[in-house]
Amino acid sequence: MQPQIILLKEGTENSQGKSQLISNINACQAVVDAVRTTLGPRGMDKLIVDSNGKSTISNDGATIMKLLDIVHPAAKTLVDIAKSQDAEVGDGTTSVVLLAGEILKQIKPFVEEGVHPRIVIKSLRKASQLAIEKINALSVKIEQVNVEDHRQLLEKCASTALSSKLVSQQKGFFAKMVVDAVLLLDELLPLNMIGIKKVQGGALEDSLLVSGVAFKKTFSYAGFEMQPKKYNNPKIALLNIELELKAERDNAEIRVEKVEEYQKIVDAEWQILYNKLDLIHKSGAQVVLSKLPIGDVATQYFADRDMFCAGRVPEEDLRRTMKACGGAVMTTAHDLNDSVLGRCEYFEEKQIGGERYNIFTGCVNAKTCTIVLRGGAEQFLEETERSLHDAIMIVRRTIKNDAVVAGGGAIEMELSRHLRDYSRTIAGKEQLLIGAVAKALEVIPRQLSDNAGFDATNILNKLRQKHAQGSCWYGVDISREDIADNFEACVWEPAVIKINALTAASEAACLILSVDETIKNPKSGDGAPPAMGRGMGRPM
Amino acid sequence: MALHVPKAPGMAQMLKEGARYFRGLEEAVYRNISACKQFAQTVRTAYGPNGMNKMVINHIEKLFVTNDAATIIKELEVEHPAAKLMILASQMQEQEIGDGTNFVIIFSGALLESAEDLLRMGLTPSEIVDGYELALEKALEILPTLTCYEIKDYRNETEVSKGIKTAIMSKQYGNEDFLTSLISRACVSILPEKTTFNVDNIRVCKILGSGVHNSQVVQGMVFKRNVEGDVTKKSQAKVAVYSCPLDITQTETKGTVLIKSADELMNFSRGEEQLLEEQIKSIAAAGTNVVVAGAKFGDMALHYINKYNMMAVRLNSKFDVRRLCKSVGATVLPRLTAPTREELGYADEVRVDEVGETSVVIFRLEGRESRISTIVIRGSTDNYMDDIERAVDDGVNTFKGITKDGRFVPGGGATEIELARQIASYGETLPGLEQYAVKRFATALESFVKILAENSGVKANDVLSKLYAAHEEGKKNFGFDVEGEGTSVGDVVQAGILDLYINKMWALKYATNAAGTILKVDQIIVAKRAGGPKPPNPSSVVPDDD
Repeated sequence: MQPQIILLKEGTENSQGKSQLISNINACQAVVDAVRTTLGPRGMDKLIVDSNGKSTISNDGATIMKLLDIVHPAAKTLVDIAKSQDAEVGDGTTSVVLLAGEILKQIKPFVEEGVHPRIVIKSLRKASQLAIEKINALSVKIEQVNVEDHRQLLEKCASTALSSKLVSQQKGFFAKMVVDAVLLLDELLPLNMIGIKKVQGGALEDSLLVSGVAFKKTFSYAGFEMQPKKYNNPKIALLNIELELKAERDNAEIRVEKVEEYQKIVDAEWQILYNKLDLIHKSGAQVVLSKLPIGDVATQYFADRDMFCAGRVPEEDLRRTMKACGGAVMTTAHDLNDSVLGRCEYFEEKQIGGERYNIFTGCVNAKTCTIVLRGGAEQFLEETERSLHDAIMIVRRTIKNDAVVAGGGAIEMELSRHLRDYSRTIAGKEQLLIGAVAKALEVIPRQLSDNAGFDATNILNKLRQKHAQGSCWYGVDISREDIADNFEACVWEPAVIKINALTAASEAACLILSVDETIKNPKSGDGAPPAMGRGMGRPM
Repeated sequence: MALHVPKAPGMAQMLKEGARYFRGLEEAVYRNISACKQFAQTVRTAYGPNGMNKMVINHIEKLFVTNDAATIIKELEVEHPAAKLMILASQMQEQEIGDGTNFVIIFSGALLESAEDLLRMGLTPSEIVDGYELALEKALEILPTLTCYEIKDYRNETEVSKGIKTAIMSKQYGNEDFLTSLISRACVSILPEKTTFNVDNIRVCKILGSGVHNSQVVQGMVFKRNVEGDVTKKSQAKVAVYSCPLDITQTETKGTVLIKSADELMNFSRGEEQLLEEQIKSIAAAGTNVVVAGAKFGDMALHYINKYNMMAVRLNSKFDVRRLCKSVGATVLPRLTAPTREELGYADEVRVDEVGETSVVIFRLEGRESRISTIVIRGSTDNYMDDIERAVDDGVNTFKGITKDGRFVPGGGATEIELARQIASYGETLPGLEQYAVKRFATALESFVKILAENSGVKANDVLSKLYAAHEEGKKNFGFDVEGEGTSVGDVVQAGILDLYINKMWALKYATNAAGTILKVDQIIVAKRAGGPKPPNPSSVVPDDD
């Protein structure tokens, strides 16, 4: 009897072959089922409690996938594509996972029957390429001739994105807000220039867009009450200076020989602070914001001189204020002059819900804005923020590439028809495989109907008929439990979402299909003990 | 343990208890061979364009999805000493050529498999090894005559891409045309005039999102970070590079600032500020637009940099700093001093861009020959991008091979079949027992075509016989056609499937050497492992007893 050959380290898990491939597909299916029901306007939300006990309510695919903490190596791929979709377009994360899962599901029988995965992959690539060409051919370019028309387009895209979210009731309200917000930005459309602040209490409709900067009142010292809270055309000084009595340098040491000298040193410290304050005052600033604390002395000094101050302003808020009002963040008081001061039309400290907010409006080069969200529960606000983020991303993408397609499953049905027609023209295994992808694409309208409680088969039949007759924009009409021309109904989505979703889904499917062996090495460090039991052997 | 392994009375007494000792054909040689076979089996299915990927999870739980043999063996923790020898051979190949690692493992696996049969026939290991050596010599003699194509002008992108394509094809089948053009553009653009090509000068930057087909080549460098200051774009930038932090200079020696009078205290920080402003001002006065530092930017320094309208970029890696210097032609300054004209680098454009959701800083160098170029890879999952990166790596290494020796032999199994045919007939001419080994060497070469066919789901023997028939007719360039349906063979040179000559040469050498070394082993002594699984440690005993 030959002793067993130990090739790999003990504890290494190794699985191989077709069964491995099938089990990977099954694992992905399980993940897809977790997010399946969140798709569309009638999708349901998920409540996820993470390991720290923090609960999140969301129907955003990427958020759910991130929180699920998946360990299965193949299923992790799906998390990655959701993230990728989130990074590239910001919306459509559920669709991409669903699509990848469905493609795998349709392909599974072929793999079981023994079709070589490489052939499957080749066909998948071909199918996705065809589909993308079709999207490009079908997409409607909206020309930016008229500002008003362009705005309309953006609002439609935003409201389509929002209609599948928790705030779909207020989609008209928020779509307008989001478009306003994005249009305020400069040509780079930096996302971090849109601040979203959440204040509990009030109704969703009380949310407001500040075309400027708003941030929560910072911690204030005595004397703050005496400061005025409203200014017209104030000048704003943005500082990175601690206005407080403090050591000039950490490792400095003072040696005095005479008692009078000592008093002088004490005075000098005060003098340094007062010098700084004087300089700020003389520069003509009326509002002083600092990243570092502003102490009692300074607060009272400013109050005496009709100035407003706020210390410990978060860095990003300060940056946004700088973008909005101009000026520069100063690290020294000596260079303060008129050119580095920001300006705005109106400054006010306002009560919003239970909190006070500092609001700057009418800024000179307002390339930034702030959305103040109101609403009930904290989780609800967080979900609203995520929804708005998606909508903002959609609007940004639409501005950058302005081709749109009809949503509500219309484009998927059309692609499905196109692929099916194409598949009939070719011979060989490819025909079946491209047909399978065509079938997989139907999952989007099917799931939309399922989630809304409609008879999916019926709706799909109607859709197939319409698309066969050449009406390419027919999709599911959620409000009437029927089908409708979604292009007319203004359910629009940027073409780039669909292109990216298809690319990502087919890449992920190819990746999963191309794996035929998994080798898992034992985890280094603490992973050793369970593996030892076998090696030691009882026969000793 | 004693139950399993019969101990030779002499040896076992000499060794410490717990040591294992094997010898002879049965115990040592066959065992080694079967371990190696098993190992070769793992990477076998990853060979060729239709090879399957492997999912490898290493000991720190990082996931790899790849069909690159070098990566697979690197991440596998192989225990068996003989299998380790094969890995060493394959790693040598990786270092020498950077591609063809799988070839080495498969071939030495196949050689060992053939050797097993010969051993059972009664040949001695040394006879087999001699035979293999003879066959190898012959093979290396034949190989140059098979050269079918040679790249002379390796500054010509289309010529180069012809050579790289096959290497990419085996990794990223379906995307090869696109990736090949990217790689050849990147490689050719940075080819230095005099010195040799350095693989390190092709950088890869992976950014999640979009698809592979949106990958691009950027002349110059791309960093995944944002700028520190407010300036986000500079064209025709003069770049100053510092390795020190840009801040108020701190002394290394611990010291205290001694203040004697109130005036000194009052003027202290003002003085510091002024000093820093002077320094930054002098940097700006030297014409600098962009300041790059390998360490942190102080708030105060950043303030002045913004004031003098310069762009501030921070790089975390020392290597990045060095590469950037090379790319823009700057000298790293270890202290905060104003750069001289020679020390300043130049970039046509330095700007912040948003790729997907990631902010990147791009140092772009147009027109002029830049010495570093970056391939920005896009993809939908991290694993996928990692795999593309490895494909790019192989492609770049192939390019390096081209610059050394531009000769190519036909791919797709054509070379192997031709070698096998000629070696087999050479074997016939030999008088001694080596004949068997030489013939087996030829059989081992056939395994490549077999694997290519098997991985594509085609009957291997059909392909093999068709190829032999074609080669007998003198069609030396006939190989397996992966694109075609079923058992189709075709002229691979016309299809543009070419393998690098030196790649094949070294792979044959390393594989034969490894197989020879493994065969010559007839005793294995495994010393008792220090702190290994043998002494029952408390942590594992407890769960056992429960």
